[in-house]
Amino acid sequence: MASLSFIIFCPLLAALLIAAIPRNFKVLFRLIALGATFLPALAAARLFLGMASGHDGVQYEEFIPWVYSLGITYHVGVDGLNIGLILMGSVVAFAAACVSREITNREKEFYLLLLLMAGSILGAFASYDLFFFYFFHELALVPTFIMIGVWGRGERKNYATFKITLYLSLGALLSLIGLLALYLQAGGQTFNIVELTRRLSANPLSPGAQQAIFPLLMFGFGVLVSLWPFHTWAPLGYAAAPTATAMMHAGVIKKFGLYGLLRVAVPLLPAGAESWLPVLALLCLGNLVYCGLVAMRQRDLNLLLGNSSVAHMGFVFLGIASLSLVGVTGAVLVMVAHGFLAALSFALSGYLHQRLGTLEMAQMGGLLKRLPFIGTVLAMALLAGCGLPGFANFPGEALVLFGAVTAGRWLVILAAWAGLVIGGVYMLRAIRQILHGHLPERWAGVPDAPHAWHKLPYALLLAGLVVFGCFPGLLTKRIQPNASRIVQAVNGPMLADSPGEPEVPGHWLAGGRKVTGHE
Amino acid sequence: MEYYLPWFILLLPLASAVAITLTSLRKGGVAARLSIGACVLAFVLSAVLFGRDASGVTQFNWISLSDGATSFIADIALRLDPLSRLMLLVVTGVASAIHVYSYGYMRHDPGMGRYFAGLSLFMFSMLGIVLADNLLMLFIFWELVGVSSYLLIGFWYEKEAAADAAKKAFLTNRLGDFGFLLGIILVWALLGTLDIGALKTKLLTDPNALGALATAAGVLLFCGAVGKSAQFPLHVWLPDAMEGPTPVSALIHAATMVAAGVYLLCRLFFLLDVPGSHALVVIAWTGGLTALLAALMAVQQDDIKRILAYSTLSQLGYMVMAVGLSGSADNPSPAMYHLTTHAFFKALLFLGAGSVIHALHHEQNIWRMGGLVRRLPLTFWTFLVGTLALCGVPPLSGFFSKDGILALAQHGNVALFALAVLVAGLTAFYMFRLVFVAFIGPAKSQAPDRAHESPPVMTAPLVVLAVPSVLAGFWGINEYFGQQYGTRPVEHGFLATLIEPFTHAPGAALSGLIATAAGFALAFALYRNAVTDPLPSRLGLVARWLRNRFYFEELYAGLIRWTQDALAAVADFVDRWVVAGLVVKGVQGSVELTGRLLRLVQTGNLQTYSFLFAAGVALLLYFALAR
Repeated sequence: MASLSFIIFCPLLAALLIAAIPRNFKVLFRLIALGATFLPALAAARLFLGMASGHDGVQYEEFIPWVYSLGITYHVGVDGLNIGLILMGSVVAFAAACVSREITNREKEFYLLLLLMAGSILGAFASYDLFFFYFFHELALVPTFIMIGVWGRGERKNYATFKITLYLSLGALLSLIGLLALYLQAGGQTFNIVELTRRLSANPLSPGAQQAIFPLLMFGFGVLVSLWPFHTWAPLGYAAAPTATAMMHAGVIKKFGLYGLLRVAVPLLPAGAESWLPVLALLCLGNLVYCGLVAMRQRDLNLLLGNSSVAHMGFVFLGIASLSLVGVTGAVLVMVAHGFLAALSFALSGYLHQRLGTLEMAQMGGLLKRLPFIGTVLAMALLAGCGLPGFANFPGEALVLFGAVTAGRWLVILAAWAGLVIGGVYMLRAIRQILHGHLPERWAGVPDAPHAWHKLPYALLLAGLVVFGCFPGLLTKRIQPNASRIVQAVNGPMLADSPGEPEVPGHWLAGGRKVTGHE
Repeated sequence: MEYYLPWFILLLPLASAVAITLTSLRKGGVAARLSIGACVLAFVLSAVLFGRDASGVTQFNWISLSDGATSFIADIALRLDPLSRLMLLVVTGVASAIHVYSYGYMRHDPGMGRYFAGLSLFMFSMLGIVLADNLLMLFIFWELVGVSSYLLIGFWYEKEAAADAAKKAFLTNRLGDFGFLLGIILVWALLGTLDIGALKTKLLTDPNALGALATAAGVLLFCGAVGKSAQFPLHVWLPDAMEGPTPVSALIHAATMVAAGVYLLCRLFFLLDVPGSHALVVIAWTGGLTALLAALMAVQQDDIKRILAYSTLSQLGYMVMAVGLSGSADNPSPAMYHLTTHAFFKALLFLGAGSVIHALHHEQNIWRMGGLVRRLPLTFWTFLVGTLALCGVPPLSGFFSKDGILALAQHGNVALFALAVLVAGLTAFYMFRLVFVAFIGPAKSQAPDRAHESPPVMTAPLVVLAVPSVLAGFWGINEYFGQQYGTRPVEHGFLATLIEPFTHAPGAALSGLIATAAGFALAFALYRNAVTDPLPSRLGLVARWLRNRFYFEELYAGLIRWTQDALAAVADFVDRWVVAGLVVKGVQGSVELTGRLLRLVQTGNLQTYSFLFAAGVALLLYFALAR
C-alpha cells in the first residue's frame, strides 16, 4: 500500500476516474479529489517515518524497464534529497484539494487538473530516470497554465497566463536541451540518474562540455524557480491563479527546478558547477535583496506573498551555490519549509480574497478581531516568512547562512540583512495593515473559518512548519548523506572523512551521580 | 531527578502557553490559573535547583551535521551554573509576583486568555535564554522573546499606537539580531563550534584564537544586547513599548527581557574579554552614553510609565557600562548584581505605576495626578521604597549594586566615572520629580479624588517585591555571581556589608551619595508644590530638546525614508518598468512577431499545441538517436 507508485498513481488514476464521471456529480469530484490526495499523504508520511536515515542509497526502489533501446526505465525511489519534498508535496496537494471549495464552475475539470498536477509532480520528485523526471514535471506544469487561464482572477488574468506560460515553457525548454545534451554527451545509453552519476563520476565529461551544459540547466531550472532577473512571472502569476494552483505551484512544482539542480546539474556536472555557481551566488542576491525590496512596496497581499516567495528562493540558491554540507542541507530544508509556507500563505490569502473580495492591504485592518483563527494562522505564517524560530524556515535559512561563509563574507551579510531586516519589514507591515489597527465598518461581518473541517488544511500546513521547525533533525539527518555526496562530487572527498556520530558531551547525571559538565 | 528539573522549568510555561491557546483563550480565569501555576511551579523548581547547587549541562540534539571539514552542531543544551541558577530564581520569582498582579490588573479585559498565553510564551523564551548553552539556541530564544514582547506590546492591537509600537519594537530588535547572528556565524567560522562550554575551553587554551577579528566578533555579539537592552542607538523602541499592559512593562520591559542583553554579555564575557579585543571599550562607552542620554530624556517626560521607561534605559546603560569596565577584573558580576536588584525595584515601581493607573482609570499624565499619598497609601509607600532603592539610598539594595558600578568606574575610567555620578544625580532628580508631582504635591485634576487603593491581589505583589528591594544588598548576590568568574565567596556580616562600600572605595560611595542628595534637593525645591513644570520656562531650548528626546525619532524616520524605503521604491520602479516592462515586453514582442510568422500553425487549440510540443520532443530524440 505505502509504495511510491501508489503515491504517484493514486491521484493520476483518480483523475482518469473523474474524467469518466458525468459532470452532474459535483460532490463526487470533490470527494474523489480529497480521498486521492489524502491517501498518498498518509502513505508519504509512512515512507518518511519508515525510511532508514544515515546513508545516501535509494530506498523503496521500484524499477520497470520501459524503452530498452533508449535506456528509459520507470525507476522511482526515495533518498534524503526527495523524501521531504514528497511528504511536503503530498500534504500540500491534500490541503489544496481541501481549500478548492471556492471553485464553483467546471468542478470536474478543476479537480481533474489538480489531481493530474499532484500525481505528476510527486512522480517527478520520485523519478530516478531523466525521462520521467522531465516528463512528469511537464505534465504538472501544463495544468497550471490552464487553471490560471480558466479559473484565475483579476483583470490581468490573461496577461498573467500568457507571461507564466511563456516563461515556464522557456525554462522547461532550456532545461530540456541541457538534459538532452547531457544524455548524449554521457553516451546516450541510459536515462537512469543513478547510473549516469556512477558513470560520470568515473569518467567525467570534458570541462568544456560541462561548462557549456551547466548554464543551460542552471538558467533553465532557474527560470522555473524564478531566479532573478527571470522572476517577474511569479508574483503576477500567483496573484492571478486560483488558490489551489498558487499553493501547488509556489509550494511544490516550483521546487522542481531546485531539485533538478541538486539531483542532476551539480552532481553530474561538477566542473560546470564549480565555474557557474559563483554566478548563481551573485544572482541569488537579486532574489534576496532586490525582490525583498520590491516586496516592501507591494500593496496587494498576493503580490507581496509572490515577491517574498521569490525572495525566499534566494536562500535555496545561496545554499546550493555555497557548495558546503551545511549550506546544501539548509537549501533542501528551505525547499521543504517554503513548500509548506507558500502553500499556507496562499491558502490564507485565498480565504481572505473569497471573503473580502479584495487583497488590497490598505482597505483591510483590525481583521484579527473578526478572524481569530485565520488571523492568528496568517500572523504565524507571515512571522514564519521572516524567519522566526519555531517554524521550519528558520533552521533552513540559518543553515544556509552558516554554510554560505565559504561562499563569501558579503554574501552572508547581505543575505542576513535581506532575511532578517527586509523580510521583517514587509511581513510586519502586512500584519500591521491587515490584522492590527482599526476594523473598518464594511468588514464587521466577515466570518472566520467556521468549524474544524474548514480549519484542517491550514492546521495541517502549519503543523508541517512547526514540526520541522522544532525538530529539523528529522529532515537534516536524512538529507545529510546526500548533501554530503553532492558536495564531495564537486569539492572532492574530504580529507579526514569520519562519518560516525559527532562527539556528544557527557550527560551531567550519569548513573545517579552528578557529573559536572565541561566547565 | 535533577536531570529533568531544568527541562521541567523550561517547558512548564510552554505547556501552559500551548494549553491556553488550544483550550481556554476565551476562558480568562482558567488561563490565568494555568499560567500563574506554571510560573510559580517553575519558581519552586528553580529554588530546588538553587538549593542543591546543581550544575552541569543537559542537552538534546537539534541539528547535527558534520563531514571531515566542518561540523555544525546545534543543541538545545541547558546549562546550570551560578549565573543561570540565580538568574532563574530572579526571573521566575519576579515573574510570579507579576503574574499574580496581572490577574488583578487584567481581570476585566476580554482578552485575558490571550494575555496569559503571551505571558507564558514569554516565560518559556526568557528561561531558554537563561539556560542556553549553545549560541544558536541562544539566538532562537532571543528571537522568541522578541516575538512574545511583540505580541504583548501589541496586546491592544486595535489601538493604532500599540500596533505601531509593537512593530517598531520587533523591527528595532531585528536590527540588533542581524548583528548578533553575524557575530554567531563569525565565531562559528573562526572557532568551529557553537557550544558555549567548548568555546570557553578553546579560548582558554588559545586566547588568541579569534585573531584580528576579535573586536569585530565582540561588537557583533554586543549588537544583540544593543537591540534587546535598548542601548543607544537602538534605544527608541523601549519608551514606545509602554503601550503594552503595565504588568508587561514591568516584567518584560523592565525586569527581565531588557536585562537579557546584560545577561548575554555576562554569559559570553569570555568572548569579549580576550587579548587584542577592543569590544569592551565600545561596550562601556555605549552603556555610559545610553545611561546619560536616557536620564536626561527622563527629566522632561510627563507620562508616568515613560519616565520609568527612560529610567530603565538609563539603568540598563549603567549595567552595560559595568560589563564594559569589568575587563581588568575579569569579573562582570557588578553588572549582574545591579541587574538583580534593578529587577526587584523596577518591577516594583512599574507595578506601583500600574496600581496608580488602575486607580485613576488609565490616566498616565503625572500633571493630572497629585495628592495620591492619602488615597493610595500602600501603593505610595511601596513606590517610595522602589524610588529610594533606585536612587541608591543606603541601606537599600540599589545602593550596594550601584556602588559596585561606581567603584568599577572610579578604577577604570575617570570620564565614565564622572558620567556615572552625574547619572546618579539625574536619577534622584527625575524620580523625586515623579514622586512629588504624582503623589505628594497638590492634586492637579479631579481624577485623584475618586481614586481607591487597588485590591489585595495587586497590592500583595507590591509588598512582596518591596522586601528584596530593601534587603537584597545583604544577600551576597555579588559574591554569588562572582563564583561564575572564579572568585571565592567571602562571608560578610550585616554591619560589615553595610560599611563595606565606604571602606572599599569611599570616593565612589560618597560621590554617589552626594549626587543623589543634590538631585533630591533640586527636585524638592522645584516640584514640592508645583502645579505646572517650571523647567521649560527656565531652560527653554534645552528643555524642548529633552522633551523631544533629542529628536532621535524624527532623525531615524528620515534616515529610513531616505535609505531603505528609497531603495525599495527604486527596486519596485525598476521591476515594474524595466525588468517587467522593457525586457519582458521586448521578449513578448519578439514572440508576437514569431507568432505572426507562425500563424499557420497557430490554431489556438490547446491539443494542437501539446501535440506540437510532443512532436518536438520526439524530433529531438530522433536526432539524438540518428547521431
